[in-house]
Amino acid sequence: MSRSTPLPPLPQPERFELPGGCPVSVLRRAGPAILSARLWIRSGSAADPPGQRGRAQLLAGLLSRGCGDLSSDQLADLVEGLGDELRCEASEDALVISLKCASDDAAALLPLLGLMVQSPWLDPDQISLERQLNLQTLGRLREDPFQQAHDQLRSHLYGQGPYGHDPLGVEAELAGLDRPQLVDAAGALGGHGAALVLVGRPPQDLIELLQPAGRPAWNCRSPSLLSGQEAENEPALVLEEQDTEQLVLMLGTTTVPLADPRSLALRLLQCHLGVGMSSRLFVALREDHGLAYDVGVHAPARCGAAPFVFHLSSSAERAAEATMELLSEWQRLLDQPLSEEELALALAKFRGASAAGRQTCGQIADRQAMVLGHGLDWSYADEALERAGGFDPDMLHVVARQLLSRPSLSLCGPPQALRAAGKVWGSHPLGCPSGVQALS
Amino acid sequence: MPLPSPPPLQAADSFEDPCLLRLANGVEVVSLRQEQAPLVCLDFWCQAGSAGEQPGQEGMAHFLEHMVFKGSERLEAGQFDRRIESLGGSSNAATGFDDVHYHVLVPAEAVAEALELLLDLVLKPRLDPGDFRMERKVVLEELAQSEDQPEEVAFQRLLALACPQHPYGRPILGDRRALKAQTPGGMASFHSNAYRPRRCSLAIAGAIDQLPIETLLASSALAGLDSKATAPPPGVALELLPGVHELELPRLEAARLLMAWQLPAAADQEALAGADLLTSLLAEGRRSRLVQRLREDLRLVESIDLDLNVLESGSLALLEAVCAPEQVAAVEEQIAAVWQEICCTPPPESELERARRLVANGYRFGLESASSVAGLIGHQCLWGRLQPLSHPLELLQSWSVERLGAELLPLLAPERACRLLALPA
Repeated sequence: MSRSTPLPPLPQPERFELPGGCPVSVLRRAGPAILSARLWIRSGSAADPPGQRGRAQLLAGLLSRGCGDLSSDQLADLVEGLGDELRCEASEDALVISLKCASDDAAALLPLLGLMVQSPWLDPDQISLERQLNLQTLGRLREDPFQQAHDQLRSHLYGQGPYGHDPLGVEAELAGLDRPQLVDAAGALGGHGAALVLVGRPPQDLIELLQPAGRPAWNCRSPSLLSGQEAENEPALVLEEQDTEQLVLMLGTTTVPLADPRSLALRLLQCHLGVGMSSRLFVALREDHGLAYDVGVHAPARCGAAPFVFHLSSSAERAAEATMELLSEWQRLLDQPLSEEELALALAKFRGASAAGRQTCGQIADRQAMVLGHGLDWSYADEALERAGGFDPDMLHVVARQLLSRPSLSLCGPPQALRAAGKVWGSHPLGCPSGVQALS
Repeated sequence: MPLPSPPPLQAADSFEDPCLLRLANGVEVVSLRQEQAPLVCLDFWCQAGSAGEQPGQEGMAHFLEHMVFKGSERLEAGQFDRRIESLGGSSNAATGFDDVHYHVLVPAEAVAEALELLLDLVLKPRLDPGDFRMERKVVLEELAQSEDQPEEVAFQRLLALACPQHPYGRPILGDRRALKAQTPGGMASFHSNAYRPRRCSLAIAGAIDQLPIETLLASSALAGLDSKATAPPPGVALELLPGVHELELPRLEAARLLMAWQLPAAADQEALAGADLLTSLLAEGRRSRLVQRLREDLRLVESIDLDLNVLESGSLALLEAVCAPEQVAAVEEQIAAVWQEICCTPPPESELERARRLVANGYRFGLESASSVAGLIGHQCLWGRLQPLSHPLELLQSWSVERLGAELLPLLAPERACRLLALPA
């Protein structure tokens, strides 16, 4: 029986708007004298134009390679010279600039946030370097069978759609990207909304630091709430042959955006299935059958149709058993509601994970910038905790049947394991109507 | 825009000192209150890493860590996880070469129950034969998963070549043959020998205001540990074997140049503070010597990292350069050139100050969460090195450019390294 205690709500932040419209939220927090800042700019790799896949990540890498009056080396000298961290990464939905610094250094570093988005150099020599590094990373990722299975499942689920490629891009298209496309992308930053969140001990005169006198305003607005569309795809088996010890299995489908009310039900299902050592998949596949070391559920928050994926890897000779058990667990989700006890435990884990995610300034800044970036309220996480208490097993079951009824299976491993797993898939109710989509 | 002159290093952080409690049987319990923490971390440490395994026990320290979660005399398999997680908590464990630790993160009001559960689980594991057979399958899957990552295989080979006569050269996960031959009885014996008062510590950090730690522990399994136990035998001193080796690996997409150097053992905290500074100066950040030269200027590598691994028998500096196979020779040449340049021309004071700030801030940033603080003080306590939280920051100040050059730079000479070149097959 769950006896977890309610989490105290996150305090409301101080709020203001920069000239130009960027909303800023500041949460002052006791503890070490540090500050974490996140500038969440909507438009990540999902907005890469056709033929330019990899543009958002390439731009993200270049924002810290020269801006304003600072060259790439000068910028690095400033940040590293103070011993702090400043970087920018692209995810599917956003470019996120992350700053973590000692509070005493914040006055020197906060003005960089605006310079990075307003005046990046996009120096051709630095573009060439960053592009080369991204291409090398894309190549190296092929070493990982989990990455291979993930890539081919994503490609099947989203095709040429916004989430169909890794934020790093597609090699042939990334290789062709150059300054004109990046100038376009940089000019559009903020047009789809942005949110800045500061957590910790900020310096005085924040507005002046974020928008120094004489600098033109960054035209930007609060991110709006999206009603993302559900992705359409047919269940299929997708295969990648690799000479590995294990077979990697990923069974998943596309669901709904974070802003969709059903995403909370999916989060509770994820807690039930894959969070902690008492989770259903951990117990059924690892503890009861010894089939895997690492097993879980990948279900990231997204502005659009988010994936919901079971994953595990198991010895090639146990491929058929692992496939059968994994499919049975998915089928169980469709066939029967959680018990009251299972729901109570899932709820406790949801609360526990929320509390664990509020330990550091960086965690809070990450989470809140993402929430605001999705067009949701600052108190979304606390409201979700409250709403979660109102779910009953039947409500979760309805959502599972609505959104998870047609999964696809992605496999990466040696040929005999692929054959054994494919045979199980072909004779299972979840796999019967589908065909094999890829074999390399 | 002129660069601002950096303010002096922040040394005035208001860290509280850890509070030490010694139980009657000699077990040390350390605690630290964190003002802003929403949770409490309980972290049990034991000097029972893979380095303490005897022939035939390879992998047992890690396998035991798995088996601990299969229940105790009082707790059925899975009951611990359900109870901790129903309290809104989470748990995990990790086995290293020198030690193992088990940690639980819970809300403050759940500490008493979580503490009782954790200590019972760790100190009185059930080691049921059926569970033993099933969990061995899980460990073998973990081994297989690791062997499917070519980078892991390369690192493991480097350690085997660098430390052929030392347990650090063996995989913590063990090997299949030894794992398949191990028995619950053998594991029970390993446990009862290792999980002893002078080889254990407990750390409690986070929201611990008003927590009656002494009362909670008075009747715990920890207080009940047999105090007659002897100290563990001293570990074998590490003697890294320099050399040059090559390996071809299937499914490797980029070449790896891996290098290992021996550095002072964990007990020499001051030397390791210097080593931290030196490795940061060499490879942390875009303007560090190696990253600047090999990635930014010459564009020979995708990445280059140099990590300090602090170990009881002798620490290791591990370098990894990821590059195209045809660039390997140039990469190796440039690493040697960078080392030679620093030997001939000591870096300016500003470069050391940059490294000092990177190390200090990395440490300071790591003191935010209850888990990281409990890990830090629990580990210090385990090895008899408990100190004020400000101490590592003070040690950084004791190093000058000249001292680094005289005492530590020679230890990173290319000819002292064990080098492994891993190439795509």
